[in-house]
Amino acid sequence: MSGGNRNLRFGLALLAAMVAVGVAGLVALPDPNAQELTATYLPPAEGGHLLGTDGLGRDVLAWVSAGIWISLFIAVAVVALSAAIGVTVGLAAGYLGGVVDALLMRLVDLQLAVPPLLLFIAASAALTPSMGTLIVLLSAAGWLPYARLIRNVVLVERERGYVAAARLAGATRRRLLLVHLLPAASTTALVLSSLEMGLVLLWEAGLSFLGLGITPPHNSLGFLINEGRSTLAAAWWVVVFPGAAVALLVLAFNLIGDGLRDTVHRDVDVIDR
Amino acid sequence: MLRYVASRLAQGLVVVLGAIAISFLLVNLTGNPADVLGGGFLPPEARAELARNFGYDEPLPARLADYFAGALRADFGVSIRTGEPAAGLVLDALPNTVILVACAMALALAVAVPVSLLSVLRRGRGVDRHVRTTLLLAGSLPDFWVALVLVLVLSVQLGLLPSVGFTGVDSLVIPACALALPLVPALVRLLRGALLDVTEQDFVAALRGRGFGEGYILVRHGLRNAMVPFITLVAFQVGSLIGGTFIVEVVFGWPGIGTLLAGAVAIRDVALVQATVVIVAVAYVLLNLAADLLVAVIDPRVRVTAR
Repeated sequence: MSGGNRNLRFGLALLAAMVAVGVAGLVALPDPNAQELTATYLPPAEGGHLLGTDGLGRDVLAWVSAGIWISLFIAVAVVALSAAIGVTVGLAAGYLGGVVDALLMRLVDLQLAVPPLLLFIAASAALTPSMGTLIVLLSAAGWLPYARLIRNVVLVERERGYVAAARLAGATRRRLLLVHLLPAASTTALVLSSLEMGLVLLWEAGLSFLGLGITPPHNSLGFLINEGRSTLAAAWWVVVFPGAAVALLVLAFNLIGDGLRDTVHRDVDVIDR
Repeated sequence: MLRYVASRLAQGLVVVLGAIAISFLLVNLTGNPADVLGGGFLPPEARAELARNFGYDEPLPARLADYFAGALRADFGVSIRTGEPAAGLVLDALPNTVILVACAMALALAVAVPVSLLSVLRRGRGVDRHVRTTLLLAGSLPDFWVALVLVLVLSVQLGLLPSVGFTGVDSLVIPACALALPLVPALVRLLRGALLDVTEQDFVAALRGRGFGEGYILVRHGLRNAMVPFITLVAFQVGSLIGGTFIVEVVFGWPGIGTLLAGAVAIRDVALVQATVVIVAVAYVLLNLAADLLVAVIDPRVRVTAR
């Protein structure tokens, strides 16, 4: 469908634009943590600050562009880790069946019973927040959708003729899984990954907003939104711009995911959370 | 039917036991809660005393057994802040969260159902495509940020609605809108798909042949046939709403379990955190059970084929 390709192109362009803002921050903008206490709460476009400054005189644009890197880094790390674990478990459960499969399905039931955000918040009561903890925590919930979807794909694919032919030709179990079933499942994993990117970005922003995710000196977009919350009426730009950056990043990945879903013509059933 | 109910109940029980196990692990995998609370600065006697209060001086299996025995009686110990039983505090805050979740869900449905019908009636045309793009955008917005922007526009700029607290029906509007918005895309996607499936079936062709209008067919016959997956999704979304409310409640100082949990996490109030996790899981299991039973009542095929 042309609509799908258009979404894909638009999503990629949007992502490229956001990355460009991030690069601009590295090259041309001041240190996002540099405070300028004589220039606090400057409105956008005043005093050489395109998006204004916050309560400590920090440049909002510099913070946003640094925040884009942090957000992308966390999202890529979490999605890569989740995909690696989830695809492995899904292949194993779908192909081997039996106890592995039964265990996996009970785990999925369990995850569906407790909202992930509740678990993250609850876990923060016991853990000290850091980038590593956050990545592990988000991945701990993120791999289950992969496992469930890949398992379902494998259950269908393993009955197809080419798998029987490969088995007849003497392919080992290892070869069947890696050379035949893994590629068959990869488009599903790809579409799911781009949709998961959006989800992880929203989770990270939310947790950082609550002070349970990324904290200074790292520049999280969610953290800046929370900082600007108390002075919303006087300095809207401290809240509006970082939130818009999160929304645009998520939109880019949702467009890419939606476009890919149409392009590969496979109806990936992703439960929306 | 009775067998179906029994098997669903058994599955729900397994999930609740799992949630209890998770809430136990969350606290016990990270070491002695006395060290977490005291930051390692306590004198040895005080540390031992605190550990004993948490039952941490016993071996792990004994602690696990104690915890399960307590949790099954809804006894999670007392909150370290107020000294009241943790489960009671959560149950007191629960109705406020339920009100917020119910309003958000009602609002999302009030938008999603007409939009889906319109989208199917005008399928493939301009309206349908605009709906799809708009929904992608709506699903990308962080709900707590939407809440703040709505406060900025409606409360600060226009002065129409109160911004924080719990002062009446007025104070429900903004948080409910912010929570409802991200739900609409999934609802429309599923309902639109289900309605499109229905329009391709033979009985719809027969209805068309008898001269019924497309709108009448969709409302009278389409919605009813799309009901089953829709109810399941709505129940699922209420669960994810419970997650979303946590942050939005904090933004508005709404006196529900989200605000309670955020406060508990800030001071590492272990009993209160555990009670929240388990009680939310129980509420969620009951909700899904109700949805499954409703589906079984509506669609006889489910109770025949289900285990």
